[in-house]
Amino acid sequence: MRIVVAYQWACDPQEALVSSDGKIDFSRAKPTISDYDAVAIEMGCHLAEATGAELIGISAGGEAVATAIATKAALARGLHEVFVVSDPGLDSAGTLATAVTLKAAIDNLGDVGLLLTGDSSLDSGSKTLVAVLAGLLGWPCVTDVMKVTMDGDSLTIERTIPEGIQGLHLHGPVLVGVTSDAVKAKVPGMKDVLSAGKKPARVVSLLDLGVRLPGEGEILSVEKMAGPSRQQIRINTEDPAQAAAELVSALRAAGALDA
Amino acid sequence: MFGLTDEQELIRSSVREFSEAEVAPLAAEIDRDHRPPLETIPKLAELGLLGILIPEQYGGTEMDSVSYCVVIEELSRCCATTGVMVEAHSSLCTWPIVHFGTEEHKQRYLPDLASGVKMGAFGLTEPGAGSDAGALATTARRDGDEFVLNGQKVFITGGGYSEVFIVFARSTEAPGTKGISAFIVDRDTPGFTIGEGERKLGIRGSSTPPLMFSDVRIPATNLLGREGQGFEIAMATLDGGRTGIAAQAVGIAQGAFEAAIDYAQQRVQFGKPLAALQAIQWMIADMATSIDAGRLLVYQAADLEDRGIPHGIAAAQAKLFCGEMASAVAGKAIQIHGGNGYTEAYPVERAYRDAKITEIYEGTSEIQRLVIGRSFLR
Ligand SMILES: Cc1cc2nc3c(=O)[nH]c(=O)nc-3n(C[C@H](O)[C@H](O)[C@H](O)COP(=O)(O)OP(=O)(O)OC[C@H]3O[C@@H](n4cnc5c(N)ncnc54)[C@H](O)[C@@H]3O)c2cc1C
Repeated sequence: MRIVVAYQWACDPQEALVSSDGKIDFSRAKPTISDYDAVAIEMGCHLAEATGAELIGISAGGEAVATAIATKAALARGLHEVFVVSDPGLDSAGTLATAVTLKAAIDNLGDVGLLLTGDSSLDSGSKTLVAVLAGLLGWPCVTDVMKVTMDGDSLTIERTIPEGIQGLHLHGPVLVGVTSDAVKAKVPGMKDVLSAGKKPARVVSLLDLGVRLPGEGEILSVEKMAGPSRQQIRINTEDPAQAAAELVSALRAAGALDA
Repeated sequence: MFGLTDEQELIRSSVREFSEAEVAPLAAEIDRDHRPPLETIPKLAELGLLGILIPEQYGGTEMDSVSYCVVIEELSRCCATTGVMVEAHSSLCTWPIVHFGTEEHKQRYLPDLASGVKMGAFGLTEPGAGSDAGALATTARRDGDEFVLNGQKVFITGGGYSEVFIVFARSTEAPGTKGISAFIVDRDTPGFTIGEGERKLGIRGSSTPPLMFSDVRIPATNLLGREGQGFEIAMATLDGGRTGIAAQAVGIAQGAFEAAIDYAQQRVQFGKPLAALQAIQWMIADMATSIDAGRLLVYQAADLEDRGIPHGIAAAQAKLFCGEMASAVAGKAIQIHGGNGYTEAYPVERAYRDAKITEIYEGTSEIQRLVIGRSFLR
């Protein structure tokens, strides 16, 4: 049986520069494995070690996702191999196109008992992919997962819900969205980095998989919404209690807090 | 050479992630308390950073010199003390054992040095022999199948916690540098004592004590290389070490540069951020350009070493340029911070103090100039 982790290779928004006119400049931000997905990969490593399952990473994107540095970065995190769908058509793919592509990748791999992924997308912050992908696969989808134990195709899962922590038992295949603090993603060690290039990395195109991307509409324009104007509130005191009091009264005066 | 390989880029991002999470949070505290960050040693070992120059068969990660420089640069960007801790251990202790040691030396010492069970240090400098290392006076007298060491070393990086010392001493009557031999000395050898660490201007967390040898008996098999080869071993070791120190200087400068950029964008004077002032932009431009120039000199020296081409002059040039560059860049970073930069509340003050040592140890800037100048005038 295979454990698969879907990961995203994208620019880290924390490294992007926001100019004073609100434009976001990604030119100095280096692409990386999404922090969210790094957690999912780490959880996959623990499960693969405990069960002896194969651990395969899948990713879909434009040319960048198939570069050697992208596949090595994923493999250095402990995946046994990666299967990457790379196509210019996926460069700015939306949720549905990405989900259709990842489904084709899962079908192509076969024998998948568990699909893990981070619970959010790095660049858009969207949380919709897991639900759409599970729908296409016809699999149960469990999000906000903190813990998974596996015994064959039988899974015990702990997830956070508004009331607290929910324990679940179900049979695979299942799609699991992992919370960002479920486990601590290990920093890849030097040996992991140096051996990454020796592990298998398969790169295929949409044509190879026989996938036709669904239409997702055409973006005509993007207009910036003006945010609230700055209130120019200045607090100039060394005393924390005084500063808090001044802040509260300024927020009340601005109508941001109830009087 | 203009680009790093994928592996070198990934090494950079791993070490950066590690340094920001594990090294940076301790940097100000160990500086204030003048204490080595010993709790970081097992973490460095786990990541594979203590066996960088050690072959895999002895438990090392056997990385190339360019990767090694990337590691030292990234550690030093967050904490110059941690940078030199790894640098002295790797360049000055593990490297000479790998290159001049016997199979028995390698099997006995390298696995523990790679796994961080033991740290290593290098004892060349003496009270009367600094730049003029060939004037060292420590003696090693042969007595049967032992050598007996007497003398004193000063300023030994890592001396406070290291277990394995490469020590240079005079073992024959041959004059000048020809009489010098290198030895491996274990910390617990009777007669070997380690003094108090110096309190220093910068890299305050780095332990820099004197070593005292009083009738220290070591087995003759602890001779590293041949008798009389010591000075050659010291100079070859320092060629690699100098590239490492140059990388440390680049890291210190990079850290100060990034702090200056952050500050310039946040601090508002005359109604706009400092970054909007051309005077500040020019400083940023000069800093960025000199850091890049230094980094290229480091990678050039390391790349020559990786390709087995003589790299002593390139290493001297990298160390000379980067040492002076780091001091200048850290000075500009303070200037951009104004009065705040002069206080301990901002990291550029520490960077300025840390940068200065890169102009002094493993050969002062004057000695690098001497080496470079002579090479052109022979
Ligand atoms: C923090 C720290 C860590 C150190 N770590 C180690 C270590 O791990 N192992 C080790 O063996 N040593 C170590 N050292 C010693 C260091 O390498 C020496 O301090 C350095 O080589 C300079 O020697 P010196 O201090 O005796 O200065 P000196 O040699 O006395 O030099 C004083 C000044 O004279 C100049 N000068 C000397 N000779 C010449 C010349 N021929 N031409 C022009 N100018 C000259 C120098 O450049 C310098 O400006 C360390 C030192 C420090 C401060």
